[in-house]
Amino acid sequence: MTFLKLDHVTKRYGAAAALDNASLEIEAGEVHALMGENGAGKSTLIKVLAGVVRPDDCSLHIDGSKVPLEGPDDAARQGFRFIHQELNIVPHLSVAENIVMAQAYPRRFGLAVDWRRVHDKAGAALERLDVDHIDTRRKTARLSTGDQMLVKIAATLVSSDAHPARLYVMDEPTAALTGQECDKLFAVIEGLKQSGASVLFVSHRMNEVMQNCDRVTIYRDGRTIETSRIAETSRERIIEAMTGRAIRDTYPARTGTPAREMFCTVEKLRTKHVDGLEFSLKRGEILGVAGLAESGQSEVLHAFLGDEKPLSGAVTFQDKQTLPSAPSVAWKRRIAYVPRERRREGLMLRRSIVDNAVLPHLGQLGSARIFSSRRKERIHTGAIAERVRLKYSRLGQPCYQLSGGNQQKVVFSRALGKTPELLLLDEPTRGVDVGAKFDIYTLVRGLSAAGSTTIMTSSDLPELIGMCDRILVMRDHRQHAIVETDGLTPARLLQMFYE
Amino acid sequence: MRKLMKSMAVTLASALMLAAGAQAAEKVAVITPYLAQPGTQFYLEGFQAAAGEKGWDVNVIDTAGDVAAVISRIEDAVNQNVDAIVINVDPTQVAAGLEVAKQAEIPVIGMDSGADALLVTNVTSNGYAMAAETATYIADRIGGKGNVVMFVFDPFPPVQIRGVIADAVFGNFPDIEVIDRVTPDVQDGGIADSRAKMEAILAAHPEKGSIAAVWAAWDQPALGALQAIEDAGRADEGIVITGIDANPQAREAIAAGGNFEASVAQDFVGIGTATADAVARTLAGETIKERAIYVPAKLVTAANVDGQ
Amino acid sequence: MLSLVRRFGTLIGFCAIIVFFWMQLPETFLTPRNMLNISQQISMLAVVAFTMTIVMVMGDFDLSVGSMASLAGVAAAIVFSNDYPIYAGVAAALAVGAVGGLFNGFLVSYIGILPFVATLGTLTMFSGGAFLVSGGKTIFGRDIPSGFSGFARSGISLEWLGLQPLHLPYLTILAVAVLILVWIGLEHTPYGRRLYAIGGNYEAARLAGVKVRILRMSAFALTGLGAATAGLMYASRVASANPTQGSGLMLDAIAAVFLGMTMSEEGEPRVFATLVGVLILGVLDNGLTQMSVDSYVREVLVGAIVVLAVASSSIGKQRA
Repeated sequence: MTFLKLDHVTKRYGAAAALDNASLEIEAGEVHALMGENGAGKSTLIKVLAGVVRPDDCSLHIDGSKVPLEGPDDAARQGFRFIHQELNIVPHLSVAENIVMAQAYPRRFGLAVDWRRVHDKAGAALERLDVDHIDTRRKTARLSTGDQMLVKIAATLVSSDAHPARLYVMDEPTAALTGQECDKLFAVIEGLKQSGASVLFVSHRMNEVMQNCDRVTIYRDGRTIETSRIAETSRERIIEAMTGRAIRDTYPARTGTPAREMFCTVEKLRTKHVDGLEFSLKRGEILGVAGLAESGQSEVLHAFLGDEKPLSGAVTFQDKQTLPSAPSVAWKRRIAYVPRERRREGLMLRRSIVDNAVLPHLGQLGSARIFSSRRKERIHTGAIAERVRLKYSRLGQPCYQLSGGNQQKVVFSRALGKTPELLLLDEPTRGVDVGAKFDIYTLVRGLSAAGSTTIMTSSDLPELIGMCDRILVMRDHRQHAIVETDGLTPARLLQMFYE
Repeated sequence: MRKLMKSMAVTLASALMLAAGAQAAEKVAVITPYLAQPGTQFYLEGFQAAAGEKGWDVNVIDTAGDVAAVISRIEDAVNQNVDAIVINVDPTQVAAGLEVAKQAEIPVIGMDSGADALLVTNVTSNGYAMAAETATYIADRIGGKGNVVMFVFDPFPPVQIRGVIADAVFGNFPDIEVIDRVTPDVQDGGIADSRAKMEAILAAHPEKGSIAAVWAAWDQPALGALQAIEDAGRADEGIVITGIDANPQAREAIAAGGNFEASVAQDFVGIGTATADAVARTLAGETIKERAIYVPAKLVTAANVDGQ
Repeated sequence: MLSLVRRFGTLIGFCAIIVFFWMQLPETFLTPRNMLNISQQISMLAVVAFTMTIVMVMGDFDLSVGSMASLAGVAAAIVFSNDYPIYAGVAAALAVGAVGGLFNGFLVSYIGILPFVATLGTLTMFSGGAFLVSGGKTIFGRDIPSGFSGFARSGISLEWLGLQPLHLPYLTILAVAVLILVWIGLEHTPYGRRLYAIGGNYEAARLAGVKVRILRMSAFALTGLGAATAGLMYASRVASANPTQGSGLMLDAIAAVFLGMTMSEEGEPRVFATLVGVLILGVLDNGLTQMSVDSYVREVLVGAIVVLAVASSSIGKQRA
């Protein structure tokens, strides 16, 4: 039975249409996937549903009768709940406060906050999710990303009884989660579904959609392309609908065999956060780093960036150098880094594409060693933008105007400013659409063929296996194993995280 | 935004109307960094009253403590071609502005500002005369005989001259001995340290009648000395205390009828009035010969303290 | 329309103010003499505001510039009064500025104290220092060499322009020199571009190989140096030094940078925009004085205009 019917949604920003007569139908009690490349209009549609963006045209029917949608209050009245891509939790407040925050705090004598009831309420919400390992008194900042997501979901459950939740909108909820945490989330989603609520699920991860959703609607360039039952469609068809072109959901082929020349050797390296690292890298090799969430993968990269001081052990590069002492030194030695959190660690969002791309190379792009040359910087950035297939309107455009995938390409442009000797990639395809992912894979392959060594982390196991020559498995912040990817399956790799 | 701009223009225009007077009147700018201080307000009261009678268009400009801004505002007033400028700030610090005024032949008159060749004249109280008033009061009260403690402050010229006069007066009485000439620490206003110094002096001269009087170059040390004497239980020895300036706290002490017997009040309102007269004489084309015009100060004692 | 207001509202407002004064004071406002007067009157505020822009580019503040200006002036005067030559006093003041600024930078960048708190602390320290070395007194008269105070009273003759009695004040020339130096430094060298990057995203800049700590400290040192320069200019103009004379500069300088920030698309401080901010404050002071507007009304108006400018730019931003 159709619960929600949204038609003729149009939203223009100037000449560009973010949504162009788009539509969406959701049945009661279903998990409905919304897919599309970055910039296809998914985020705008969610904002329209939430009442925070006012569309130029739109009609909303709930249970067959037309209802207004003019502000966040209307959305709340219809029982819409939102879980956003960026976790909007308040890190220094307790779990309980984050869960209860949106509601009036329970009070004693109408005055003092009744903390016991706050915790009871929060505890009850977590219980409904079958979560019992989170203490409601802890500071939210201390939880793992996955647990923070659960807290966020719990918060939507504590809604007022006047408008019970009927639709949960989850915008890329799994982007920051490990496989284990994802499983937990899908169990919760299943529970919500059983209770009669619907879920609108936005994700770039094909596997999750295929395994957990009932139907999928695909957007492209602000228009609805198709809605189909998952059981009646295929990955290839979805990708084709999303991109408008046929891209295989696989990885570009290796273009050459890795050289035999040694790049560096790591002997018994211990830092503050990781221990027991022992491996060697060949020039042009791509090494993956895998493990359960927060097992020290990022810290391995940080050590090579000079941001994680070695306590004992040794790393020797073929030119007799040791680990860089600071990021500034690393960049000078052509060790380039693409950070995990693009918005927090990667970009200056309000600054231009050029400013972001040339930052580590400012010294070399100047004239007379003192002055900057905007002309040289633009030429440099323009050339790289073409190489990474960046979509932009002008090079002076501030980065916040770009879609997630294109933002990531700006970060890559920075790393490629000088052909890197060593490329450090921390979750390089997180929150990036299929088309941009393929571009990034192609780039990394090309660099590898040209002799750049790469170390990358990813929580997408097929991606690691598809891209890397070998995978370093981390467990409890220690090196657990190092395996060749030839013949490795995601299931086997996952097993190594636990065994 | 257009609406905002319009309302801004209206505000500006009404501000203009508030301030702009008759066009034909003579324009006088009064520029001071010290408008918030009570003394300055009395000067202005006197000046404004006199100026009102003469029908001048007076513009009072306060730079809120900023001395360099006084120079800027003098430049502005010169540019606006006012007929005369009155300043209430040390002229050596605003010499740059005074030179601009001189070039434009606009007269600048000091209102208790200090002497300077670039001023037409400076209207002020006579520091020598004020010190003479209190020193002779003490000499008279103790019958020209006894030990006197002096509180002075030589680093500040206007106060230093007061001490010189008191030295001369006491030196002229063979039976008066100045047993201590104290320079108190003025960081906290002068009361606390003067009190501490006085306590030490009292301890050094424990016999009754061994100190006949305390002469202070301004009120704060006198108040400190008074506290020390009262606390030491020696209020009934008849030690005579005098100050200068007659600030409200001093007036209260004098009115109470204790040891603090006299101070000297500058006639602030009178200085304002006299400044207006000096401006009027200048505007009339007279060349004023005196570098300083003195306005008499009044001795304040228990007899007249209430009438002030 | 709205975006135009957001971008150019402050500039339009500035032009409106000029036109308004020009109409009200047709004979005395838009004259070469008055323009030169204004340029000289704002020169000290301008130098402080330009160099304040350097730290504000990184999203930081320096509240200590006013008391640093006082301290530097007093330091120079003390050196003069001990019969050292002028250059020694100037060098001492600038050294005090650089060292004080480095100290600010050290607290902010290496110790990790919020700039607001750190410079609030040093504001009090510098101010106390100025009282300490001067003994709380104003140093003036023979202690200040005439060569030093003469600097603020003279300039380059404008005879060649046919403006015979006028001269281009040295103070103005100095402010323009600082403006050009800061402009080149901030916008045309890798150094300045890196400061902007730090302001854009500190962590991202660090991970992209920018030496954030030392740069941040150096920027505070430059601001301190600018404050000391302004302190010397002030002391020269009033031919004296007093431990509180610079204290008015800090708030005006921050207000000027904020006014300027309303003019850039992404709300970033730019030194030429700061110049417009300084000009607005200076022109208002000059014009309203000439119109005989009461000093207190003047202050209310100046404050209201700052609020209006910032409000119009943020209203525009919310709607867009």
